[in-house]
Amino acid sequence: MRDLTRETRSRLALRAVVLVAPVLALEAARPDDVPHRWFVALTLALAVGFAAMPESPFGTACLGLVAVWWALAAGDGVPAGAIPAALLLLAAHVAAVLLSYGPPALPIGTRVMLLWLRRGAVVAVAVPLLWLLAVLVDGQPEPPGIWVAGLGCAIVVCVVAATAVSTRQEHA
Amino acid sequence: MTGTWRPTPALARAVVVAALAAVAAVVSASPAVMVLGAPFVLLACMGLLHRPDSTPTVEAALDHRWLHEGQGTTSRLTLTDAGDVEHVARAMAPTPYVALHPPTGLVAGLADAVPTIEVGPRRWGRRVLGEEQVCLTTPWAGYRWGPVSLHGDALRVLPHTRRFESRAETPRPVGLVGVNRSPRLGAGVEFADIRPFRPGDRLRRISWRVSVRSRELHVTTSPSEEDSGVLLVLDALGDHGHSQGLDGEASSLDQSVRAAAAVAEHHIGAGDRVGLRVVGGDSGLVGYGAGTRHLRVLLDHLAGVRPGELPEGISERLQLRVTGGSVVFVFSPMLGPAIVTATASLVQRGLPVVVIDTLPPDATPRVPDGVDPRIADLAWRMRRLERDQVLAQLAALGCPVIPWRGAGTLDDVLRRLARRASVPQLAAQR
Repeated sequence: MRDLTRETRSRLALRAVVLVAPVLALEAARPDDVPHRWFVALTLALAVGFAAMPESPFGTACLGLVAVWWALAAGDGVPAGAIPAALLLLAAHVAAVLLSYGPPALPIGTRVMLLWLRRGAVVAVAVPLLWLLAVLVDGQPEPPGIWVAGLGCAIVVCVVAATAVSTRQEHA
Repeated sequence: MTGTWRPTPALARAVVVAALAAVAAVVSASPAVMVLGAPFVLLACMGLLHRPDSTPTVEAALDHRWLHEGQGTTSRLTLTDAGDVEHVARAMAPTPYVALHPPTGLVAGLADAVPTIEVGPRRWGRRVLGEEQVCLTTPWAGYRWGPVSLHGDALRVLPHTRRFESRAETPRPVGLVGVNRSPRLGAGVEFADIRPFRPGDRLRRISWRVSVRSRELHVTTSPSEEDSGVLLVLDALGDHGHSQGLDGEASSLDQSVRAAAAVAEHHIGAGDRVGLRVVGGDSGLVGYGAGTRHLRVLLDHLAGVRPGELPEGISERLQLRVTGGSVVFVFSPMLGPAIVTATASLVQRGLPVVVIDTLPPDATPRVPDGVDPRIADLAWRMRRLERDQVLAQLAALGCPVIPWRGAGTLDDVLRRLARRASVPQLAAQR
């Protein structure tokens, strides 16, 4: 609490984004699939931890939980709510990145803030494009084995990414 | 200082969320989840693409290592092999009597304009800045170097001297050159008298107007201008009161050091030879000397003064070893018997001694644990009464005792001493 009082307004605003965005992304699921209260509470608890400690695993758990909920709730449809949900998750991640550049009282420079706003905007462009692509291919007959191939690709990407991350840690 | 690159939690989060979204999308056949995961795929890719292969080193240095109280300098960070660095964050730990800007000591910015920290010492002395933590980050916050610790730079903070100026001359000029009027006539520029010509007088001293009028050669005379020996005696037997730096409350040692520095600067500026004797602490001694370089030596020595008791045995027979013809300034709260005895013996030798009382009026003693504050207060009041008596006895011996008030503090006293030195004195027969 004492650390919070030392924080600048911009940092407090970023923490608010980290706290609120995952919960709103959860709520952005289809209206007929309103999340259970316990699920919202769990997400909120993780978001609190994420906002307090932006570098903690709470962040991964919180964003991952939202993604899992969407997998359960969305089914095979492509709701338009996925776009704001994706943007909210992106906002939470970018806010956490800005918060994690230094100790709690470190002010965030305008140039760094603008740099990440530009980056966020560039990355966010992929969201509506992918959503549009998903809408276009939705309902089309699936080639045999497409999901298995997709799963294989995802696993390969995960392994490559994890190797790239862990190699550096071993060197360290 | 070197460190190593490590992936940031942000990169790990982006990778995990992207992978989780991809797997969840495939397993649940839900393209919407892939829409959620798409930004994280891009962020993870960008972070991994900027994987660094450099070995940066960082070094922090101050623009100036010698400063006066109240002056400021800048701590700059030098990065080498920093091609992969996008963001730099610095955190300097607070140091007593050193003001930082920003006050938190935390700065961050992009690597093309490495952030600086402004440092302003508020009290004289040798200051070592607090440890600094430096952290570097690659573009897209994928990898982080550090934080690594950098040892704080050392600063030599010289005492503040601006407040003292005196128009009075120093009594007892005995040297060769200087600006003080000597009691002897010589080759000065100021008019003293006109007298008949004697063999040996310089021809350029002949006053032709008077000589023509009186039909006898007359010459003008002037007092010679000489320097004085000034000894500054600094009492570092204790530090009484609280020190809050240049803008706040001053302790007795603060007042002593600043006053001594101011007087030294004034007399060096006047061409006098100035020496320094520190009583207590490390008991330093600086011989007589003149000039700017000597002033630097004196100020440096003053900056290194630390309070401390004299070793046993020395305190009873403290000798200040003052040569004849010197003017002695004693900067002291006059609470130690050794310094009082030494001062009184100098006065009895007939030397011009001025005591500058540096005890703050509202100084209170530090009460040790387990001691009743009322008893400590009573003891302090008794000590102050004794001190008042000692100061009165010194004044009765002919030693002026004056509190330090900055500019003009010594003018009146020095004029009176100069007047006293010009009066013929009886030599005591032994």
